[in-house]
Amino acid sequence: MLILLRDRVGLAILFIMPMVLIFVMTLIQDSAFKSLNEKGIPILFVDDDKDSLGIAIGQGLKNSELCSFHDSINGKPASADEVKKAVADGGFLVGIIVPKGATEAIRKNVSSLVQQTLGTDSVLSAGATKKMSDSVEISIFIDPITKKSFLTSVTSSLREFISVIKTKIMFKTFSDQLAEIIPDKKTTTSSVFEKTQIIKYKEVYASKDIGEIVPNAVQHNVPAWTIFAMFFIVLPLAGSMVKEKNEGSIFRLHTMPSSFLLLINGKIVVYVLVCLIQFILMLSVGLYFLPLLGLPTLVLGNSIAGIIIVTLATAFAATGYGVMVGTMATTEQQGAIMGALSILLFSAIGGVWVPTYVMPQTMRHLSAFSPLNWSLNSFYELFLRGGSVHSILPDSMKLVVFFFVTMSIASVVNRIKRKI
Amino acid sequence: MTSNTIINIQNLSKTFIGKTEPAVNDISLSIRRGEIFGLLGPNGAGKTTTISILCGLFPPSSGKINIDGMDLRGDLDYIKQIVGVVPQDIALYPTLTARENLNFYGHMYGLKGKALRDKIEMWLSNFGLTDAANRRVSTYSGGMKRRVNLIAGVLHSPKILFLDEPTVGVDVQSRTVIIDYLKELNKSGTTIIYTSHHMDEAEHFCTQVAIIDHGKIIIEGTPKHLIEESLGSTNLETVFLKLTNRALRD
Ligand SMILES: Nc1ncnc2c1ncn2[C@@H]1O[C@H](COP(=O)(O)OP(=O)(O)OP(=O)(O)O)[C@@H](O)[C@H]1O
Ligand SMILES: [Mg+2]
Repeated sequence: MLILLRDRVGLAILFIMPMVLIFVMTLIQDSAFKSLNEKGIPILFVDDDKDSLGIAIGQGLKNSELCSFHDSINGKPASADEVKKAVADGGFLVGIIVPKGATEAIRKNVSSLVQQTLGTDSVLSAGATKKMSDSVEISIFIDPITKKSFLTSVTSSLREFISVIKTKIMFKTFSDQLAEIIPDKKTTTSSVFEKTQIIKYKEVYASKDIGEIVPNAVQHNVPAWTIFAMFFIVLPLAGSMVKEKNEGSIFRLHTMPSSFLLLINGKIVVYVLVCLIQFILMLSVGLYFLPLLGLPTLVLGNSIAGIIIVTLATAFAATGYGVMVGTMATTEQQGAIMGALSILLFSAIGGVWVPTYVMPQTMRHLSAFSPLNWSLNSFYELFLRGGSVHSILPDSMKLVVFFFVTMSIASVVNRIKRKI
Repeated sequence: MTSNTIINIQNLSKTFIGKTEPAVNDISLSIRRGEIFGLLGPNGAGKTTTISILCGLFPPSSGKINIDGMDLRGDLDYIKQIVGVVPQDIALYPTLTARENLNFYGHMYGLKGKALRDKIEMWLSNFGLTDAANRRVSTYSGGMKRRVNLIAGVLHSPKILFLDEPTVGVDVQSRTVIIDYLKELNKSGTTIIYTSHHMDEAEHFCTQVAIIDHGKIIIEGTPKHLIEESLGSTNLETVFLKLTNRALRD
């Protein structure tokens, strides 16, 4: 509506504020995200085992994009105590020590298992499996600032390595024993195994890439602040509604034949449009302006339909929320404070300021209540995981439901307030 | 009720929530087509409350209202279309220009295009606002705002026009212009219901007046008749003071 256009300062704030936010936040956070992504997390690795397991883990860490691999301090291989000290000093975030005889321990376990299996001709029993896992002990030293998510991915891949090695040794023992019975089969079995092993390695990394999204600063900030900005329309929207109430225009409007709902609908259309314009502006910032500053370009994923759905759902959710705040507030200050504080809160728990995956577990539970989080998750899904319409539908539905709930609350509050 | 009656009010009462005293107390009124009806009374008498109920802003606590043969409860949509309201408080968007305000309200009445534009221009020039029409209403003087406020209520050529103190804070020149155009509007068939504190203005403008106080009608008749009835009064103001006492009101 015209009123909004007339409020040039307000309009400028609505469009320019989020752009500035994106610039500033991205520039600030770029280095932080970079240390996670490009350089990787510094890891100190000590291989006292010098056998299959130690070598495989070392190789795996070296190849991982998530970490920068070191196996020596000042050019000398480190001892267990030195690793502990180095991590404590903050030189490395994670220290991993594979102890002497780790592979040997597995081997022993496996061969006793194989003998057991071949001897009794039965499948692996639960007891045997347990005994096996007890036998290998890999020490991990962690700097407390290390992200939990990264840590879980490290430990889970270590576990993968151990089981891969275990399988490998098991195969080998089996095939050695089988070879004694059927000599021709020996080569075939091991070549089959080699293939399996390669696939297995790849799987370890593939799953890490999908499960552990560490977005760069652009991928996080552009959607996050765009959503924030879209929700910020609550302020002018609620403000205009309160103004209408206080300037008396609302009385005149109530004496007019046009249904009041029609008027609200008009407002909704206008503000949804504002949201869409914001979205397009922010997107172009991510696509065209940030690269000019030497920052990574925004990657949109491959579901345009998904983006449109999420954006529309977000726009409606924001507008509905604005209408609700507008009906509840009696003065403009009240509306502004209510709107601003709740959006700050929603955005904070929703992962706009600090991504949810760095939050402690309790906060993550809270995030599920923030509409900004539903929207942000959808954009992550689309931009980072290459999600489709299907994968963002649940969160988008939540946003749409949120719109209807806020509108209903607004209409109930309005009815109560108009009773005089 | 005959077709000659355009507004019929029976036993109208309104007690606001949380109040013990009714703002409007058992009012019954009949207003004829083509009348300029003055609703006069001291502050807090219940004038605005009565008008608000008549134009459907909120329902009465009790009573029956019939406007242009339609029941207020059942045919509010029709009634809203034939009624124009000029509220006591300025109801305009201060950040918009006069033209934009009128355009918006015109649209809300379902007017559009050239017809609306012509109407707006006519009234703006009638009220000497053409030059200022593209300025924001917030930069207007009180009298200018009043005039725009009035135009917003007559754009759709209503059958019935409610005017709640349209001449408050308006200088003599503007007042004369406003009253003249309202008279013209009345001649072309609009029934006018008008509240005011200017007894002098009411005396010359209204064809029929009712004096209300504490939510009750004290007396009703033509201004001439009321003056004659009241012994020793030569104008409406003395009649009014006699009937409503000199005590200050809220
Ligand atoms: N929304 C409301 N809620 C509660 N009480 C109200 C409300 N509006 C008016 N009143 C009360 O109803 C009474 C009548 O008010 P009303 O506005 O109808 O008077 P009025 O005749 O228009 O006075 P004025 O000449 O000052 O405009 C007053 O006592 C007022 O305090
Ligand atoms: Mg009043």
